[in-house]
Amino acid sequence: MPTIEILAGGQQRFAVPECVPRRGDEASREACRTLTQVLRRDLAFENFFRFVPENLLSAIPPLDPESPNYADWQGIGANVLVVTRAQVTGGELTVEATVHAVDSRQTILSKRYSGRAENPRIFAHQLSDEIMAAAQQKGVARTKIAFVSDRDQQGPRRSKELYIMDYDGFNPRRVTVNRSINILPAWSPDGRSLAYVSYRQGQPDVFVASIFEARSTNLTEGRGQAFAPAFSPDGRRIAYASSRGGNMDIWVASADGTGARKITTSAALDTAPAWSPTGQEIVFTSDRSGTPQIYLMDAEGLNVRRLSSVGNYNDAPAWNPSRQYSEIAYTSRLEGGTFDIAVVDLASRQVRQITQGRGSCEYPSWAPSGRHLVFACRRARGGTWQITVADRDGRNVQTLPAGAGNNAYPDWGPSAEVR
Amino acid sequence: MTLRRHAVVAVLLCLGVAAGCGGKKRPPNVATGGGGAQGARTTPSDAPLPVDSGPDVAPFDADATRSEDFSITDPATLEGGPLEDILFEYDLATLTDRARAILEKHALWLQNHRAAKVTVEGHCDERGTAEYNLALGDQRARAARDYLTSLGVAAERLSTVSYGKERPLDPLNSEAAYSRNRRAHFVVSR
Repeated sequence: MPTIEILAGGQQRFAVPECVPRRGDEASREACRTLTQVLRRDLAFENFFRFVPENLLSAIPPLDPESPNYADWQGIGANVLVVTRAQVTGGELTVEATVHAVDSRQTILSKRYSGRAENPRIFAHQLSDEIMAAAQQKGVARTKIAFVSDRDQQGPRRSKELYIMDYDGFNPRRVTVNRSINILPAWSPDGRSLAYVSYRQGQPDVFVASIFEARSTNLTEGRGQAFAPAFSPDGRRIAYASSRGGNMDIWVASADGTGARKITTSAALDTAPAWSPTGQEIVFTSDRSGTPQIYLMDAEGLNVRRLSSVGNYNDAPAWNPSRQYSEIAYTSRLEGGTFDIAVVDLASRQVRQITQGRGSCEYPSWAPSGRHLVFACRRARGGTWQITVADRDGRNVQTLPAGAGNNAYPDWGPSAEVR
Repeated sequence: MTLRRHAVVAVLLCLGVAAGCGGKKRPPNVATGGGGAQGARTTPSDAPLPVDSGPDVAPFDADATRSEDFSITDPATLEGGPLEDILFEYDLATLTDRARAILEKHALWLQNHRAAKVTVEGHCDERGTAEYNLALGDQRARAARDYLTSLGVAAERLSTVSYGKERPLDPLNSEAAYSRNRRAHFVVSR
């Protein structure tokens, strides 16, 4: 079997034994410990492969990293063996990784990474993504999540600033520093820019920040209230909600803000636009029926039809970016007045509940793989909002360690491959 | 009830108007005030038009004193100020009778403080989604602004901003706090 096909089905059972340090110093051993822990978590999070239980790994003789005894690994049910070695020399970390197909005794992947030793996690993330790529899947281990935190607020103004963190909640870094209210971040498809809403000039405007150059541009320049930006999948257009025409409508402009055009005409409130993966359709919220509901239209604003049929308050739609899944996540109010994340399948119109009994959850955003969702939840009134992730079927719900304060409005960034 | 209140409004507007023309400044545009009040939704068509009927009103000196009220707005929080908040029902942007009555007082105040400009902030309680609350806050601010303009306040003196649920006045999670947070707030500047 060609190596590319060995992993493709996702049914193989992985063994990820402890990384073997090449040197006996504490720095190398510590790097190895982090590498093992993060790699196991990354691969498990993908929810694509199966794993040999960790307690079985110690039931066989210790791994010989240069020449694994395949029969031992076969004996505990492993089909794929991931061997890693690491050493730290002069502040530089070198990681070698070999992925073996146990049954055919082939080498699927053999890689050597080196770089600064401060953050060994990124080595594990890269290896995880490469293993997923070998399985013809988009890995998310190197993706970033943008979000909003009030942790920096001082005084009564209650500022909110944008942050970016790794997909697993580690390494949060602040993006905006204007001490105003900055909310609703939306990644550009190339991962180099964030659109967001800022009150820094008094009213809500859509800004775009070039995150690597630390520059920002006001796209809407005070022409009405403007918010809820979303880049088209090709990055050339940006949709947002604006009251510029006297009523809250959906507008579409070029990515630099020029050529803005109103595409909804209802006298009701139209807001929260999001693009289909093809860029040919837009899903949005409108209260034209009397309550906020989810609607579809083509990207020119024609052919409007209602999508949501359950509940009297639905908002914040997000289209699954993977063409494998034709579905839209959104926020839905339940009987008790709390909000939950739901997903509607576009073919069957079946709705499945992603969150339940976690207090209130809102603002869903898909991983670029379409296999995971991120959103913000608050367990109880008076508690804090926290960034939460789940598999697309609603399993494995976990809170990310994003840091202090209320953390909300997450937007999952694009795959590392396209950067 | 409505009829009587509007009679009162008309008189109040009339008083404001009269105060405006009691001194050296140019006469106020009476027609604007009257036409506006009549154009407002709850004004019966036979409500008395406010006319410039009497000089027996508050002198300019009092106005000058009252204009000191500008400083009541705390620059740090933008709270306080001479113009009371108006409150809204859950999920709604329609003006209650009480909100209209307060806005009518604001219109009078604005007649008497012709240099004042007002930013109308629309706010929501925390129960609801961010995007829809931003739209709802905008709708609340516009409802308040539109009623003020219908009462004769020049549109150029009024701007709106929606805060959605992003800056609640009361951070608590009680019904009382929610009710205080569903509001239009008026920030006065010169």
